[in-house]
Parts: sequence; C-alpha cells; structure tokens
Amino acid sequence: MRILSRRTGNVVHLCFEGGDALDSVSAPSVKAGALECLAEPAHLVVDLTGIEFVDSAGIGALVSIFKTGRARGLTIRLAGAHPNVRAVLEIIKLDQIFEVHDDAEALVRELAVTDRN
Amino acid sequence: MSERNANATDGAAGPTAMPDLAELCRLHDVGIDLIERSHDVDDLLDKVLEEYERRLTELPADAFDSRGGAVPGPVSGKIRALVMFATQAAALKARAASATEMRLKSERLEEMNRRLESALTEAETSRLRLDTVLSSIDAGVMILSPEGRVLRANRAARELLGVPEDVTLAWTAPAVLDSVPREGDAEVRLDDASGTARTLAVSRRTLDPATRDEVVHVADVSRRTREIEERHRLEKLAEVLKTLGVLSHKINNPLTSLLGRAQILMVKKDLDPQVTKAAAVISESAGRIAELIRELALVVKEGRQEAVEKLLEMHPASGEEGGRS
Repeated sequence: MRILSRRTGNVVHLCFEGGDALDSVSAPSVKAGALECLAEPAHLVVDLTGIEFVDSAGIGALVSIFKTGRARGLTIRLAGAHPNVRAVLEIIKLDQIFEVHDDAEALVRELAVTDRN
Repeated sequence: MSERNANATDGAAGPTAMPDLAELCRLHDVGIDLIERSHDVDDLLDKVLEEYERRLTELPADAFDSRGGAVPGPVSGKIRALVMFATQAAALKARAASATEMRLKSERLEEMNRRLESALTEAETSRLRLDTVLSSIDAGVMILSPEGRVLRANRAARELLGVPEDVTLAWTAPAVLDSVPREGDAEVRLDDASGTARTLAVSRRTLDPATRDEVVHVADVSRRTREIEERHRLEKLAEVLKTLGVLSHKINNPLTSLLGRAQILMVKKDLDPQVTKAAAVISESAGRIAELIRELALVVKEGRQEAVEKLLEMHPASGEEGGRS
C-alpha cells in the first residue's frame, strides 16, 4: 500500500493507494508514513476511503498516529470510513476519541478555510 | 461479567456509566501508579492511550470479523477492557480540551486585565498630570452637573468664588453663576472676603452631551476692568481739561477788557465817588476771576484731577463756606 499526502494550506490530507485493508501487513508503513507528516501541519486528515477492512494492528496504527499528533499539538481527524471500518471504531469506542467525518475532501476544504479566516 | 461490562460488549445503545478509575485499574490489572504518575489531565490521557494501544497489541489480528463485529470468546473480555479504556480516554480528551480552552480563556483574560491595568495606570497618571496643571493655573475651572452641583473645582475656582478648601464636593454652584447662561459668557461682579469688588469673566460650555455636565471657566478680570475704568476716567478728565482750557481762554479776553476799563475809571479824578467805588469793586472781582482763570490754566497745563478738586475746594460756589456775593 502506498501513502499519499497532499497539503492545502495548513492541512495535510493523507490517503492510501493500492490496498483495501489497514492490517498487520500495512499498519507499520502507514504508521511510519503518517508520522513523517506530523512535523508542521496544524491539521491531519486521514482519508480511509477505499479501506474496507481494519484489524487490531490497523487500529493500533491509528491510535499511535493520534497520540503522536496530540503530543505535537496537531489535530487528527478520520474521514471516509467504510461502514465496516466505522462499525469497528464504534464497537471499541474509538469514535469517541477520534473525530470521524464522512467526506475527506469536504473536511480538508473546511479546515483550510477556517484556518485562513 | 458485570451487567455493565455486558452492555459495553454488545455495543448496545444507551450510555454506559463511566467506571470508577480505581475499579477499572483493579479489574484490568493496571497499577494505581498509572494514575499517580499522571499529574494532569493531558498526561493521564496519554497514559490511558498508551494502555489502550498496548492492549490492542494483545488482541489477535482477527479480533474483529470481516463485517466489523466483535468475535465472542476469550478475546471479548479484552475488547471490553479496550472499550472501557476508550470511554475513559474520550472523557479525558473532553476534559483536556475543556481545560485547554479554560487555560486559553484565562490567559486571554489575564492579558486583558494587564492591558486594563496599564490603561488605568495611564489614565490615573494623566489625571494627576491634569490635576497638577489645573492646580497651578490662575484661571478657575469647574465641572458642574446638570443640576448645578459642583463635581470638580480647581484651587483657583475655589479662591475666586470664595469657597473654603474644606467644603466637600457636591457643593452647589454659587448663585453668581446664575446670571451666566448655559453655553454663554458674561462678566459678573463679586465682593471678595475683604469686601473688594472683583470682576469675573465666566464661560459655561457643555462638557459631555450625554451627561449634560458643564465646564465653567472663571477668570479674574478685575485689573483689566480697573484699567479700562481708569482709562475712561482719564479720557473724561482730558475732555474736561480741554473744555476748561477753551473756557479759560474765552473768559480771559473779555475779562481783560473789563479789568482794564475798571482800572481806567479808578484813576479818573472827576468821577462820581459811587462810580469810582463801583469801579473798584469791579476791578477786585475781575481780579479774582482772573486769578481763578490763571489757576484753571495751571490745572489744564498740569492735567491733574487733584488740582481741579483742590481748586474747587479753594473756591467754593456762592453761598457755601468762603463764598462771596
């Protein structure tokens, strides 16, 4: 799986290509790639569009990204979660810790406008 | 398994009571030191997330089935613990956010207070500076309420209006100001404590249209008034002296003729004795008039009112003391 990042103002949009699972195979690279993006931006949007399956390792990667981002004063938001992924997040109550949005592009635009103002 | 835990496991709708943190630690073998090491909400949240992450690693990869549902069995207890930690972390996250917001508000409030204090200090300094200036000037400045009560008055205002220093404020403005219209200027006369008349120039202007407070300016123009009056007096005196000069000249000519004729009659030997006597009386009276004219001419020359008054004292009108018919 490849990790792509795109910057819009002070917002980094992180998305995944080449895979539909955030699991023990892809989790380490996702975690490492995301952590590289946590240096400067004020907002990180993790776009889960296309990810249809997540296991405990994948969840662990998301939690790790959240923890590191928080320590650096960043805000981490999830967006575009597949119903299966959203169900897992809800079961283990991570939706109470993460902000989960429906549309990643709309979220990026909204955050960029808010920052400009 | 407690009913509370069962509710958490199947994801049933409805709020789950937040477990006591000490009980949570006891049930899931997390030392109390986790709590004791946490000195603030943010730190505690970090540690709860760390524990959450650690417990995730204890779960098998297939803990969540392909449809996103939990797998029952031994792993369900671990998932329940995970849920509890997530719930606790969510609450701590909210508290941390609230604490951050409070801290930012507090910092903003402190900054506002510092600015306010600075502004108040600056305003007080300006006020003291203004008070010093107002205390040093000779012109009186007062602030009056719409009802005519004195709100502020400088030293000069109190002195000019004869108000003692120990009179408290909310003192009613002196009645002498009643003759000065609002937004107007006027001169008023006032006797000071020693009975000396003073002339004060008073101006009244609106200080604040919202409150209708007035500022009153009072200046002692007595000296100027006296100077003006003195100038008027001297101008009148100059006119009087000028008139005296003209009169004396006009009187002198016929008087000289009269005196001459009388003296000629007096030296004639063949005149009736009564005529000679009358000529002598005419000559004496004419001589007196001539003397008076000479003294008046001297007064005109010297230009002194005292000389005129002295002259009048020396030659009172007919019928008064010293007068002759």
